Amino acid sequence: MNRLQLNRLITPLSRIKQHGYIFVANQSTAAKKEPEKLEVFVDGKPIHVEPNTTVLQACAEAGVEIPRYCYHERLSIAGNCRMCLVEIEKTPKPVASCAMPVMKGMRILTDSPLTKKAREGVMEFLLVNHPLDCPICDQGGECDLQDQSMMFGSDRSRFTDNQFSGKRSVEDKNIGPLVKTSMNRCIHCTRCIRFGSEVAGVSDLGTTGRGSDMVIGTYVERLFMSELSGNVIDLCPVGALTSKPYAFTARPWETRKSESIDVMDALGSNIVVHTRSGDVLRVIPRINEDVNEEWISDKTRFAYDGLKRQRLTAPMLKNRDGYLTPCDWEDALSVVAEKIGRSTGSKMAALAGRFCDAEGLIALKDFMNQLGCETVCVEELFPNVGASTDLRSNYLFNGTIAGVEHADLVLLVGTNPRYEASVLNARIRKAWTHNDLRVAVIGPKLDLTYTYDHLGDSTKVLAELSSGKHAFSKILSSAKRPLIILGSAMFQRQDTESVYAATVSLANKLRSSLADENKEWRIFNVLHRYASQVAALDLGYKPDVKSIIELKPKILYLFGADEGLIKRQDLPNDCYIIYQGHHGDRGALMADAILPGAAYTEKQGIYANTEGRAQQTRLAVTPPGKAREDWKIIRALAEVCGLTLPYNDIDDVRSRIDQVAPNLTRINTIEEANYFKQNADLLQNHKTSFTDSALTPPITELKDFYMTDPISRASLTMAKCVKAVEEQLKSRHT
Amino acid sequence: MSLSNRITPVLKEIRPVLSVNHAEAKRRVLNLYKIWLRQIPYIRVDYISNNWTEPELRKILKENFLSNKNVTDIRVIDRLLVKGQMDFVETAEIWRQAHNAALFDRSMDTYKQKPKHFLERFYEGHH
Repeated sequence: MNRLQLNRLITPLSRIKQHGYIFVANQSTAAKKEPEKLEVFVDGKPIHVEPNTTVLQACAEAGVEIPRYCYHERLSIAGNCRMCLVEIEKTPKPVASCAMPVMKGMRILTDSPLTKKAREGVMEFLLVNHPLDCPICDQGGECDLQDQSMMFGSDRSRFTDNQFSGKRSVEDKNIGPLVKTSMNRCIHCTRCIRFGSEVAGVSDLGTTGRGSDMVIGTYVERLFMSELSGNVIDLCPVGALTSKPYAFTARPWETRKSESIDVMDALGSNIVVHTRSGDVLRVIPRINEDVNEEWISDKTRFAYDGLKRQRLTAPMLKNRDGYLTPCDWEDALSVVAEKIGRSTGSKMAALAGRFCDAEGLIALKDFMNQLGCETVCVEELFPNVGASTDLRSNYLFNGTIAGVEHADLVLLVGTNPRYEASVLNARIRKAWTHNDLRVAVIGPKLDLTYTYDHLGDSTKVLAELSSGKHAFSKILSSAKRPLIILGSAMFQRQDTESVYAATVSLANKLRSSLADENKEWRIFNVLHRYASQVAALDLGYKPDVKSIIELKPKILYLFGADEGLIKRQDLPNDCYIIYQGHHGDRGALMADAILPGAAYTEKQGIYANTEGRAQQTRLAVTPPGKAREDWKIIRALAEVCGLTLPYNDIDDVRSRIDQVAPNLTRINTIEEANYFKQNADLLQNHKTSFTDSALTPPITELKDFYMTDPISRASLTMAKCVKAVEEQLKSRHT
Repeated sequence: MSLSNRITPVLKEIRPVLSVNHAEAKRRVLNLYKIWLRQIPYIRVDYISNNWTEPELRKILKENFLSNKNVTDIRVIDRLLVKGQMDFVETAEIWRQAHNAALFDRSMDTYKQKPKHFLERFYEGHH
């Protein structure tokens, strides 16, 4: 057992000693009365379930899986596929178990002859109009209809088609560059429609006609305009909705699956990366109730083809003519090391971008610090007032993503969660639908897929709210569990300190008036946009890009910094720029030396999401060409420079991370962060001075959502999406 | 109560593979060495394309035996003995081919060793 593993064991133990319990990020504090449980019998086996559960859920609890197509636990109940029919004693007909609530003493028979006959009948009717597409269908191998016809269907068909009239046929719809439709295969489960109207909040899909003429579609040809549209591919139990970019590429049994983490936004959605022979073939979501439930955004799902384009595959150095030319690692490292050796640490700077993992970040920081350089920054700014980034609670989404469901009021300040964190927006919408969550927005009027109180987009609103003079203040202060979500884009403003201080003081005022049972409730939340931001701040990176320009550095180390915040003309002429990263984007364009790194699918790396939850990506494919894992590049460069970083393998790096920020090595846990009051006290002396500019988030339209970072900018699919949205906006059927 | 008391001793007795003590193991090793020595004239002829001479083969044989001189565990010695015996049979029966037998000579083993230091491993690209 190495030290890291030992630490993981010892830390919870010492916490139990300290607090008497292990902290679990659960914020529901209201006492609930335990409802009386009902006893039902599933195939004669007694089981106690809560009232209002359905027969299907009761069976699942008893360990009996009922076949179903239309029922999905995250969508409303439709009860139209009839596949879940079961016999219940003393009822004349079999009942649809997904829609039937349990009653006391119910005797459910899931394996009786009547049930079996009902299922076989339903299967037969479904298959009468289902094409024999399986050999050329993309759903083959993961098709519910295939599986269930094998398990529950009849062993022979009565379908003869004596009249040669053919099966029912439906025209395919073009609903955009992401979702491919084969409507012949549709069995009318309406999961996609319910997903659109309930989760995504876009009611583009619907049904027309009835009986055998029923058709699912958009009525007129139009784009399925949602940032979550890819999820209907997973929801579709048959091959009617499949992935367009993935079409005809692989069967599920051919692919290797690696459980990983998404880095396109700061939520850290859990994903499974499917690969075959060194190619990423697709990305599908993995269930994590605390983060993304089972949804992912379209950028997460489809931007993977950007991992194959615009890649940096070999180290490059500028030749005499000023062109970057590929070279060997030995040459690149020795030239870069020589440049570093000629400079002094005080004239160096490093800037880390949005896709950096914690391993790379710690290696770069250790390296720079050993060289005597302290200007190690991240791209996103953070206001330098009060305790700033010294207290973790200042820059975390303290209320947790799952906490949104316990909130009764959400105030969005200068953020557009729909495009900055789509899955979080789906969660807010879920709470808005089911918990009567009230949402208020400070910012421009946006389509967030739910209704909200629009308080205006000027900084005045914020000032009035924090001083309690605004009309909405009363509602805000009467909220039992409010959340204030501050978009990280607001930190890029001129008056960032004032916006931040006003938000904190508002949060603190609400906090002091919380009821006793909600004292632990956390109001202040920052919604980040960059996946690496929280880990970088945890590791002590400075959120201050401007200091690099002020320093006039001789050496600038760009670690995946592609936002273009520093331009060549901001730097002195003799500044040597080293770019380490995986895509030839803005950063590589101005570099003198390029060290090719690994993208998130090509390394095992820790990322902390906006809540501060540490999660790790896993290696799905090897880095292309001569590209290497990021921390290894820095470790090797340090050695060529004559410095040694004290780690040789990933375990060593992680134990180093453990020394600096132990929360980053506790995978999939949230470390609590506190000191809200102390920070608010520190901010009290801040002199508020707002500028006139409106509190506008950077992305307000769907077409701007798709291409925001080096990977998605290199992605063909994302470019097609942008084009499709632009065309849709021009069309008559908007 | 100390930790060692609570852990039940599971490795109390070790069943010998072949030899009960070092003396016996040594005898077996010497016997194996002798049969290899006696085979040398035939090995030279059987694997004639390797262009070995008998003194060379004796040197190679000695090197191979001496490469394990630091092994003290009787069970490990026994394992090596069994392996040596099997190698012998395969060689004597000419189940080996010439290029395969050539590897008895360690100097012929030109397989590139994986680098040990971080920087070399980094340049190689295989971690």
